[in-house]
Amino acid sequence: MYGKGLKPLSIATVAAIAVAFSLVFFYAPLDADQGFIQKIFYLHVPLAITALVGFVIGGVFAILHLRGGDRRWDAYSYVSIHMSVIFGVAVLITGAIWAKASWGHWWVWDEPTLVSFLIVFLMYATYYPFRYAIEDRDRQARYASVFAIVAGAFVPLNFMAVRLAQSLVHPRVFATANGGLPGSMMLTFLVCLAAIALLWVTLVKLELTAKSASGQLKRLRRALDAPAGGGGPRIAPEVS
Amino acid sequence: MDLLPIGAPALPLDEAGKYVAGAYVVFLLLLLVYVAIMAAKLQRMERELRELAGFAENRASGEAAAGSDREEVSADV
Repeated sequence: MYGKGLKPLSIATVAAIAVAFSLVFFYAPLDADQGFIQKIFYLHVPLAITALVGFVIGGVFAILHLRGGDRRWDAYSYVSIHMSVIFGVAVLITGAIWAKASWGHWWVWDEPTLVSFLIVFLMYATYYPFRYAIEDRDRQARYASVFAIVAGAFVPLNFMAVRLAQSLVHPRVFATANGGLPGSMMLTFLVCLAAIALLWVTLVKLELTAKSASGQLKRLRRALDAPAGGGGPRIAPEVS
Repeated sequence: MDLLPIGAPALPLDEAGKYVAGAYVVFLLLLLVYVAIMAAKLQRMERELRELAGFAENRASGEAAAGSDREEVSADV
């Protein structure tokens, strides 16, 4: 069921990423201030936006789960958060590389944008131990949903707080009085954002398909009365 | 924060290139690791499915054999 349309989606994602990266290196002009190093912007910022939006989407799915009690929404919420955490790792690494190249430091502790993202990332890193510390499946899903909603609400609040804070070195590019990106850079950025968002959707779908197949396999094994292999605690919600 | 080179001139292309390449390679590497993990999962599922199919076939042939034995016994009676 989840695998339907995965193939065209994967092809579209690969094509979108190829177009996006071609625009980055062959179309977007060099930044007057940062030069070639600014090319990291087209990867780092879309990854960060997608990861943060993914956390919020995880919260929305959690609301749907708590409202209707359908386990499917819990699986959606789990996979959204899981994928956003992976994207978060990429954000932190690409951000550190960019920081080293332009500021000479891998990390700057008194920069609100960096520290706030790290706080959000670490908060979501606690989602896994929090979830799997609960053995009862229903309680696990319920408590994880509450966590996802509270943490998901924290993400935009955190973003706004950082936006209002006085930045020391991290640039503010969008919707600022000092001017934004020129047209060609904005176009490249938007294509990159669409490509990365598409990648997120594809990977979420892939993960859900794999979990669904794994769940069906477990059901089949139970139906065939096979000896239970690997009967330890589950590490992800089952999707059927 | 006076250590931070705000307003410093851009890095020369040869030096900036390795950082840009590093960032994009890290991204592709992460993607590759994820795909490799998913491929390993898929292989495991395929192996399990083959195992279950074999088990189901054995059980079906066992039941068929037991059924023909029962028929022979009832015919003798």
